[in-house]
Amino acid sequence: MADRRGQRQRHMITRNNSSSSSSFKSHRPSNPNTNAKITRTNKFATVNPDNNDNIDDPQDIPNLVGTCPFMCPVEERARRERLRDLAVFERLHGNPAKTSSTLAVKKFCRTISTNNVQASDVRPVTVLEDTLNYLLNLLKSDCHFEVVHDFIFDRTRSIRQDLTMQNVTSDQAIHMYERMVKFHIISHHRLPNCGSPNQIELHILFIRMKQNSIHIMCFSISVPDNQGESLSQWFRRVPFVIMKSKEMCFARRILRYFRLGNYKQFIYTTEAEASYLQYCIIEPYISEVRALALYCVNYGGYKLQPYPLTHLSNLLMMQESDLESLCIDCGLQTSTDGIGKVLLSTKLTDTCNPKRGYHKYYELVSERLERLSAELSEL
Amino acid sequence: MAGLQDANRIIRQSEKCSQYADILVPVFRALQSYRLRNLVESYLALKKLPTLLMENYSAFIQEFRNWESAWALEALCVIAYEIRILAERADKELASIGKTPEKLKGAGSFLMKVFGVLAGKGPKRVGALYVTCQLFKIYFKLGTVHLCRSVIRSIETARIFEFEEFPVRDKFTYMYYTGRLEVCNENFPAADHKLSYALTHCSPLKEANIRMILKYLIPVKLSIGILPWNLLLDKYNLTEYNNVVLALKRGDLRFLRHALEEHEDRFLRSGVYLVLEKLELQVYQRLIKKIYIIQKQKDPNKAHQIKFEVIVKALKWFEMDMDVDEVECIVSILIYKNLMKGYFAHE
Repeated sequence: MADRRGQRQRHMITRNNSSSSSSFKSHRPSNPNTNAKITRTNKFATVNPDNNDNIDDPQDIPNLVGTCPFMCPVEERARRERLRDLAVFERLHGNPAKTSSTLAVKKFCRTISTNNVQASDVRPVTVLEDTLNYLLNLLKSDCHFEVVHDFIFDRTRSIRQDLTMQNVTSDQAIHMYERMVKFHIISHHRLPNCGSPNQIELHILFIRMKQNSIHIMCFSISVPDNQGESLSQWFRRVPFVIMKSKEMCFARRILRYFRLGNYKQFIYTTEAEASYLQYCIIEPYISEVRALALYCVNYGGYKLQPYPLTHLSNLLMMQESDLESLCIDCGLQTSTDGIGKVLLSTKLTDTCNPKRGYHKYYELVSERLERLSAELSEL
Repeated sequence: MAGLQDANRIIRQSEKCSQYADILVPVFRALQSYRLRNLVESYLALKKLPTLLMENYSAFIQEFRNWESAWALEALCVIAYEIRILAERADKELASIGKTPEKLKGAGSFLMKVFGVLAGKGPKRVGALYVTCQLFKIYFKLGTVHLCRSVIRSIETARIFEFEEFPVRDKFTYMYYTGRLEVCNENFPAADHKLSYALTHCSPLKEANIRMILKYLIPVKLSIGILPWNLLLDKYNLTEYNNVVLALKRGDLRFLRHALEEHEDRFLRSGVYLVLEKLELQVYQRLIKKIYIIQKQKDPNKAHQIKFEVIVKALKWFEMDMDVDEVECIVSILIYKNLMKGYFAHE
């Protein structure tokens, strides 16, 4: 026991010496963004005699730099051929036991630490970017979207793992993250039922992006429940310049309308100003706001003068027939007067459950957003 | 160094003291490294410092767990305080040389262990709230307030110990932090209760503390429709709220937005921005009330009917451009949220 202590003591002294000789600092990159290109190799360990002690400090682990030149490491490719573990897109001429270096893409596999990872199993950034280009190009294939989505979902996850293991935070990597987030947003929009794993993945991505990208941060504002953190708490940490950026100002304005219940401006502003990606994120909230509008009109409207549905459908930017369905979904009564359909102001009966209704989404009538949706092809 | 090694040897040799070696040796080592830090200002010594102290404290906590009485509680509280302060300093130093500041996080998980020792039954429990407050300070600083939840649950659900029996100092700090959490969750009645509790238990001489409480209590009170005296704002130098209050008094929406923009950074940092932004509804409510009062003076019989166009016009005076549809939307929201009694007719 005492011996071990004595050793520690000596270590401490050597530590101090090595730091005062300042050779330590010269090996540290000053700007974290340049990390990607600097390899901290064993040389570093000789300068600092007790490198092992620092294992808890993520910045002191020497960066791994991948050397795998292919989208999939050779070994994994051979193994998966042998096990017939090939996705549809990876099969050479449809053969489930044969693939090639231009088809196979590294699968996601959970790893606990980077200690046992070989550099030859990890792809360098340039290869990762090519891989991402290849994957996102698959979206143009005629295959069923769900199938392509599952494949890209898994393989981009492995790209992110490779990026993380190499501790890459360069602009190139951020751009790649952004494209992956866009993919997730759009697929979440197109596959609303694909459920929670996607949502969680999106959250994790957002959290990683928060330090890096203004664009993506603005998207995340509308994602509720930031891992149990209230928005106010999150706002405390966001740098002020980012809060004042154009995208963030838009997101905050939409958020304000949402929180105040200003359904008119919420829907008008979304229709008029949102980018397609922003719209994809806002869409789930549109149903909620429309339902709120119906309850407000129903609650505060004058009973002898029912509210005309035509006007309401213009305000909420939906087809009148859809609005009628939404009223029914929300447990509200409509009727016909001399001119057209109207929403009756009746007290909600106890039997109907207002929360039940608005999960179904009715299209937002907007030529602009339709056009944007059609234009969107590149990720 | 020589002196330190001597001390180690003496402690180990002395039979009486040997059982305290696990505690005392690290204390000396910690003192030594602390001194080194002052002399050499070396990063490595600093980095090791909290680790060493941690070791020392761990041994102490271990002993404390075994003691049946709480005689050393005061010492434990000192440790809880010290470890937080040291970790904060270490992180500042780490950040200044471009390293990841992670010591405070470590201190947080360490204090969680301390909390575990105290939170059980028996006389030690009286110290649990002190450690809780130290944890709050760490979590608020790190922005990991969601971690507060489990501690709060433990304090509020355990019926073994009455909350009122904790020391006043701790109760008031605890109420301040949990009140702030309620502000962020926009649970205003709870926030009002907790912050008011903190305010009434705060010594009137501690102006800085009163100011900190008011910084959160004022937005809460504004949200439930209670405006503070200007005198109060001036006395505690909370002038950033002056224009917000004035905007409410005038029913002037543009002035409210301007007041928020003026101190936007400050409000965002303290976490009250979203709460203040929501005051917009209160502003509309007050504006409509003013219109009603003016109408009543002119013609008491027709005062209860307000035309949407009149509201549009009033907003225009304040340079707010809104159409009838939006005003109708706002009025319907006010009625729905019970900020106004009445109904509206769409013509």
